[in-house]
Amino acid sequence: MSPEAAHIESSCITEACTEEYSEKKREISSLNFKFPGELLFKISGRRKGLKGQLNRGGIFLFVFFLFMALFPSFLAPYAPNERFTPYKEPSWDHFLGTNDIGNDIFSELVYGSRISMTVGFAAALVSTLIGAILGICAGYFRGALDELLMGFTDVVLIIPKIPLIIVLGAYLQPSIWILIPVLGLLSWESTARVTRSKTLQLREAGYVKSARCMGFSSWHIMSTDIFPNLYNVLLPKFMLATASAMISEASLSFLGLSDISMKSWGTMLSFAFFRGGFIRDMWWWYTPPGICITLCIISIALIGFGLETQGKEHVREGADAM
Amino acid sequence: MFSISLRADRLSKTYEAGLLSTGKCIFREVSFEIRSGKTFGLMGSSGEGKSTLGRVVAGLEKATTGSVYYKGTPLTLMKKNEKIAFRRKVQIMFQDPTDAFNPRKKIGHAISEVLALLGVPEARHSSKTEEMLITTGLPKEVLSRYPSQISGGQLQRLALSRILLLDPEYIVLDEPTSALDVSVQAQILHMLKEVQTERNTGYLLISHDEIVIRFMSDSYGVLENGQLKIIE
Amino acid sequence: MNVSIVNTLLEVKDLQVFFKGIKTITALSGISFSIAESETLSLVGETGCGKSVAAHAIMRLLPSEARVKGIVKFRGKNLLELSEKEMVEIRGKEIGIIFQNPSLALNPVYSIGHQLAEPLCVHKKEKKEKALFMAAGALKNMGFANTAEYIRYYPSWCSGGMNQRFLIAASTILGPALLIADEPGKGLDRKRVSELETELKKLKFKNKTALLLISHDLSFVQRLADRVAVMYAGEIVEMADSSSIFEEPLHPYSKGLLNSLPEKGFIPIPGFSPSLSNLPSGCRFYPRCSLRKRHCIENHPDLKKINGRAVRCFLYP
Repeated sequence: MSPEAAHIESSCITEACTEEYSEKKREISSLNFKFPGELLFKISGRRKGLKGQLNRGGIFLFVFFLFMALFPSFLAPYAPNERFTPYKEPSWDHFLGTNDIGNDIFSELVYGSRISMTVGFAAALVSTLIGAILGICAGYFRGALDELLMGFTDVVLIIPKIPLIIVLGAYLQPSIWILIPVLGLLSWESTARVTRSKTLQLREAGYVKSARCMGFSSWHIMSTDIFPNLYNVLLPKFMLATASAMISEASLSFLGLSDISMKSWGTMLSFAFFRGGFIRDMWWWYTPPGICITLCIISIALIGFGLETQGKEHVREGADAM
Repeated sequence: MFSISLRADRLSKTYEAGLLSTGKCIFREVSFEIRSGKTFGLMGSSGEGKSTLGRVVAGLEKATTGSVYYKGTPLTLMKKNEKIAFRRKVQIMFQDPTDAFNPRKKIGHAISEVLALLGVPEARHSSKTEEMLITTGLPKEVLSRYPSQISGGQLQRLALSRILLLDPEYIVLDEPTSALDVSVQAQILHMLKEVQTERNTGYLLISHDEIVIRFMSDSYGVLENGQLKIIE
Repeated sequence: MNVSIVNTLLEVKDLQVFFKGIKTITALSGISFSIAESETLSLVGETGCGKSVAAHAIMRLLPSEARVKGIVKFRGKNLLELSEKEMVEIRGKEIGIIFQNPSLALNPVYSIGHQLAEPLCVHKKEKKEKALFMAAGALKNMGFANTAEYIRYYPSWCSGGMNQRFLIAASTILGPALLIADEPGKGLDRKRVSELETELKKLKFKNKTALLLISHDLSFVQRLADRVAVMYAGEIVEMADSSSIFEEPLHPYSKGLLNSLPEKGFIPIPGFSPSLSNLPSGCRFYPRCSLRKRHCIENHPDLKKINGRAVRCFLYP
């Protein structure tokens, strides 16, 4: 090419906006990683329906709980183990009264969010990582490995989870550091399945094929070409896994299979139940943790669903733009 | 002359009958040869298995019977290091340019990745990339763009020049222009011709467009009902 | 040009489309054209010149982040001012649209007959049986022999060419006065394109449907269109009768476009289209133009009329 022609071309700025504008838009918006809330805000902005409102509410609640877990000292008036007169009713000093050993219930609630959410997120991280790795390997290599991994997934799928965890919890010392891996190791199957099917699809994409043809290693292709493109699938899965791990944690804690030194919302419920909260009809003791668990899980699930529908929305939009 | 060609010898591809589907023969006993510096055109309407044949020749898929010979050695009997050399020397370019680059990698990244694969030291990446951009005739800004921010024609040029970094002897062109506008098609075809005269590359051009095939090829064949009819 | 008494069916005046984002993208910067009854106008140009955006803007199918300005008059009504409900009435009934890919536009879970009858049931409130009967009639008009059989078929049972014809039948079953075909031949092989051409010709001459044909396939356009508007970077650079554009193009871009056709030996235009978020201030084609002068870099040319055709270039005063 002559230098003059090259000059002409460099002088014309070359960003394209083609008819596939909405497709491009999607690419751009999904490229720059943003806080999921921002994406959701966009959806809710576009469709000002009930769903949009719900999404926005979910994000708001989630941010609130996150703040509670990260900076409990801002919200809680006392330390969680500070002791006052037991069984006090709500008052200005003790917003939600005190429990059987005289701890301030509101402070306990605020500090409890930390444990509940840590367990939820850590277990979800473990399960998403395992699911993603197995799913990518199965989808990318196909053949015997695929059969083997997916067979194994089916086996894990039929293990009854809660009973198994109860048995494990009875034998091992109850602690969240046991709970996290156990919950994580038992809930990765659906992530693995979804990842596998998406990988099968991405494997046929031109850039993966040409990378294979150029002689890039499988590891390189899986980590840089396939994994980053799974983000649309993995993020909602991660959020939903967090919600389900939190439910499991709460139910196990309620059954008394948790570390008493690390009080989560579930543990608080359990204490309220076994130490006279229900008998004395102290609703300010047993309802707040229940409400917190419910709201927190709803908010996370809403974000997860929002991210999922967002993916689908784009598929639909792409078809429309054709 | 014979030893440096890429030759397809009696290739057949059949899909085995599965639980739900009956077996299907895609093509049978197809033989042809691509010489360096020449273009072999492969024509046929859609669904005739042209692309599958292209992928078999590029070594991305295995043929059911028959084999591809590269420098006289059949692909199936190659040793590991020979296979790596084959991977470098025989490249494939796809129809859809928007699909040729990972949407989550900037163009610059995708290119320096290839340079790293070739063992080019990091310090020389930028000079090599610049050199490459001159052949494409694109401004330097494209390097910091994502593939979705660049037009199809430009992407196809970048895809071709990325392949050229590997210095291939043969390129399988799978419908290289059918997703592009006429004016861009003309640009790409001319670029391909230039590359061929400069580097003596051999092409296998797959297209459904007879005029494109005639314009580009030295000899061509028509794939119809699984049989290849060679013309000229 | 044949200046007989023809009724203008669609009149587009100064249609502008912007996409607001981090950078504002000017997809269309004021295009005007009109289509008379049973006339075929074709918008041609490269990908990204805004031809599809124009079609979507007329049908009001653009996503909500697009800002549309201008007037789109269809039989005296400004489509851009109608409510969504009124627009639904017009889509399909008065203006039909054919999309690119036939296998994507037909719903695979419904039978052909159902998909053909559906618009009749919705728009004309016909009974299902009668609608199916009419659908069979429409298929007969398309040249299908065994219509009773075909209306029970599903899109996946049929070849792409058949689906293409079903799609045209579905878009035209209500007898729209205007049919918008958005890149109808894209991605089809030559045989299918010529089938499509026959179908569209039949529509044009038999049903007297006006056609807005959007395509980048120039030879396809040449065989079908009465008038052609060449678009570049969001504006019309030349508009004239089909024959005069193909025989004697005036604008340098039209010339370049025709030279890159296979028949002329694939002579490319150097360079690329400009970015729509950062358009050159002068003539939009000057970076790629071989006849450019200093004047072209500074001033933006207007669309000027000469001998019944319009061209946007300083070469023609």
